[in-house]
Amino acid sequence: MTVDAVMEFRRRDARDKLTGRTRYTIDRAAPGMLHAAVLRAEVASGRLVTVDTSKAAALPGVRAVATAADAPGRFGIGVSDHSLFADGQVRYVGEPLAAVAADTPEQAQAALAAIEVAIEPLPAVVTMAEALAPGAPLVHPDWQDYEVLPVGGARAGNVAWEATVVRGDVDAAFARPDVTVVESTFRVGRQNHMAFEPRAVVARYEEDRFHIETSTQVPWTIRNATARFLGVPASQVRVTVPPVGGAFGLKFDVAIEPFAALLAKKSGRAVRLVNSREEEMLTCLFRENAEILIRSAVTSEGEIAGREAVVLMDCGAHGGEQIFLTTMTAHTLGGNYKLGAVRLATRAVYTNTPPNGAFRACNGVYNTFALERHTDEIAAAIGMDPLELRRRTVLGDGDLGATGQVFEGDVLRPMLDRMEALRARTTPHEVDDGRLYGRATTVGTWFVFTGPSAATVNMNADGSATLVTSGVEIGSGSMMQGLPQIVAATLGIRPEDVIVRQADTDAAGYDVGVGGGRQTTSLGAASLAAAQDVRAKLLAFAAQLLEATPDDLVMANGRIEIAGPNGKGFTIAEVAARAQAALGPIGGTGAATRTGVPSMPGCVAGHFIDAIDIPVFAVHDCEVAVDRDTGHVEVLNYRVVQDVGRALNRSAIGGQIQGGVVQGLGYALHEEVSIDALGHIRQCGFETYRVPLAGDVVPVEVDLFEGAPSLGPLGIKGAGEVPILNVGATVACAVANATGRRVQELPLTPPRILSLLLGREPDLALPHIQPAFADNLLRPHGPEV
Amino acid sequence: MPTDMTVNGEARTSARDPLTPLIDVLRDEFHLTGAKPVCREGFCGACTVLVDGEPTVSCLTPVAMAGDCDVVTIEGLSSCGLTDIQSRLEQGDAVQCGMCFPGMVMTLSHFLAHTPQPNRDEVRAALTGNICRCTGYERIVEAALAVAGGRAEGRR
Repeated sequence: MTVDAVMEFRRRDARDKLTGRTRYTIDRAAPGMLHAAVLRAEVASGRLVTVDTSKAAALPGVRAVATAADAPGRFGIGVSDHSLFADGQVRYVGEPLAAVAADTPEQAQAALAAIEVAIEPLPAVVTMAEALAPGAPLVHPDWQDYEVLPVGGARAGNVAWEATVVRGDVDAAFARPDVTVVESTFRVGRQNHMAFEPRAVVARYEEDRFHIETSTQVPWTIRNATARFLGVPASQVRVTVPPVGGAFGLKFDVAIEPFAALLAKKSGRAVRLVNSREEEMLTCLFRENAEILIRSAVTSEGEIAGREAVVLMDCGAHGGEQIFLTTMTAHTLGGNYKLGAVRLATRAVYTNTPPNGAFRACNGVYNTFALERHTDEIAAAIGMDPLELRRRTVLGDGDLGATGQVFEGDVLRPMLDRMEALRARTTPHEVDDGRLYGRATTVGTWFVFTGPSAATVNMNADGSATLVTSGVEIGSGSMMQGLPQIVAATLGIRPEDVIVRQADTDAAGYDVGVGGGRQTTSLGAASLAAAQDVRAKLLAFAAQLLEATPDDLVMANGRIEIAGPNGKGFTIAEVAARAQAALGPIGGTGAATRTGVPSMPGCVAGHFIDAIDIPVFAVHDCEVAVDRDTGHVEVLNYRVVQDVGRALNRSAIGGQIQGGVVQGLGYALHEEVSIDALGHIRQCGFETYRVPLAGDVVPVEVDLFEGAPSLGPLGIKGAGEVPILNVGATVACAVANATGRRVQELPLTPPRILSLLLGREPDLALPHIQPAFADNLLRPHGPEV
Repeated sequence: MPTDMTVNGEARTSARDPLTPLIDVLRDEFHLTGAKPVCREGFCGACTVLVDGEPTVSCLTPVAMAGDCDVVTIEGLSSCGLTDIQSRLEQGDAVQCGMCFPGMVMTLSHFLAHTPQPNRDEVRAALTGNICRCTGYERIVEAALAVAGGRAEGRR
């Protein structure tokens, strides 16, 4: 059976959002609700001597106080290095020390002020260079005692995780007489999501269970992490998720939920906890800052005989998402191009800074920046047009990826052709106004984070269907468009007749969460399977009614009929009602998980995903004008050719591309996070952290590339995450072309541009990355021994 | 001292301290949660309401400043269905997370009432005080231009 779920279906939540009726977590309240607040450390490193809450607990209105003693457990995505409260040692400015709940927010704040804290300062490592220096103080002196998931990443001291890839003989490639060796270094800062809804939670403790209502992308992570921290069975935690006011990866990890849960249990009351904007900035789970060395051996024909790279990722005080993300170097910086031999080392490094996390396309964004700028430097070194170099070397059908996975289909090369056609439709912008003009085209490789998803579809006797999953509507529209479209198309009903249940861990099965481009693909695969289950049951029952076989029937436009002209049949509602009476209500379940595309044995160590199930490619192009006097970069036009597999809803995808590109423009040009020598984040709000405004942006020209192979349901791929992937790269390459200067850092703020133009920007040296690849490793590449 | 005001056409009295931000009175005392406290420093515009017809960031407005004023929030913008700009935003598939839209709609309603035939740059300039983190603005600008275009159609 083929399902055609392609529709221009408008989202059902728009009206309430436009009229202010949508109730996000921050808009929710409960009778007798208390207000919570969290006391946070003001030093980056120290020994926690005292947290005395006795005076605070005695203040009027204070109903509960919690400290480290109440939350004995540890949690972590790869390494359980995260305690809910500082556990004898303070590791970053902003680390929680205690939490209180009181009748009013003012009383809660007064209670925080009354908590007596003594911290004995210790030396801090604020940068990765400091953290990797010989004899550096350890952020986690007890790192060897932590529980580690059984994946063999090397760890030691301030290196939280080290993942390596080795394929082929790189030394031999670099020793070839016919190659030119090109070496580039790059550095990027952190990026703040600035999701409009801060992390927010309302928690209750009822019938010996926690009910956590929260603004999250990952209800099951919240369930499991809360249970770990509090030392209770996960089955005692229920998580429900109202509409989420923006996330972008920020809410892909546990945040403040366990504090509210703990205080709700202690007080016996509902507890509301909402981060202030300052707390959001302080504990942002940023896209991490990173430092990269990349070196290639390339022939005059553009063949990349060998490539090696070292990537340092700052995970902050906990390993968090970065430990997992070390995996993605292989598939991004190691992507895009055919490589003869390759070796990559990615090191997640602990520092005494606020923990980092996930942000739309994560390290793919800066790895693509590094790779594409490096590619342009290669083109210059061998005297080849950068576009020609890309045409010759991009991954094609049957080519090997960095980890030895075999890519299927020619995708990037025809996408480059499509970009050329798209570009030909607009005339270059260049005018003689004294500004420097430049243009660039880049390519990028990303993936869909497949993994377990579950769905149930209940067929109602009125002809509607209810889809139950752990999916969350974070704004992307997948719950409003893609998923109901898939179910509707499978069942032959209208998408508006598919009721979509928002996440409730008591109602739906496990799901990894909403992120990594997986919502319409993984949840979609599970939803498709569940709907097909229902379809088969309805067809079988209808076949009995019609004295036909299911194969004789068509199920479309709200009816099940015998195929052919004037075919006898019933409405689907009628079949569902009669089936309900005869057999009981009709329902179906579906599940999906990783397919598990193979890598080459022995190529990877310490990776969570050795090969990517669903690659997603992107080609971006833009033109910039650089003002020599002010250093301001204006993006004049922007174009995207995106590999979507199959576009279920072109309007929805278009909205994601415009939004993702604009977030990328902020990252490329002016979203800057800086950390002072004492470990404080300097940007504390919208005034100091500059996100794109309406006047900064251009309409993005979009061409959706369909038909590339995909293991996704109905041939689709994730489309919402990838639009940000090569924006930093494209702007950087265009600025380098405009100015003739070596762009090695992002963001390209006016001061940095002026410094480049005036020749005052020193070439980026990264002395804490060793020149010889092997000297960067904790242990030689290979399986854990 | 209590503060009297008209909110969405009804006489209301706030018992809060006069320096309480208007947004907290609207949300916590009057349970009008449409306006969103996002930055609380007047930069993002998500808390925009009309005070005596003027778009005002309610996070930086002490409730006393709204005393005896006519306050209109997103909930009170229209008594019958969607306004033109809301319809265009819905039709244009402009909404994503939606947190900025209550403020966007208030700003654009006022702008379009006073600038019936704006050009693209004027719309972009009018949105300077309203940040959107999801959409990249383009569809919001298009919706505003479509409202103006629809009016021009209507006159012909």
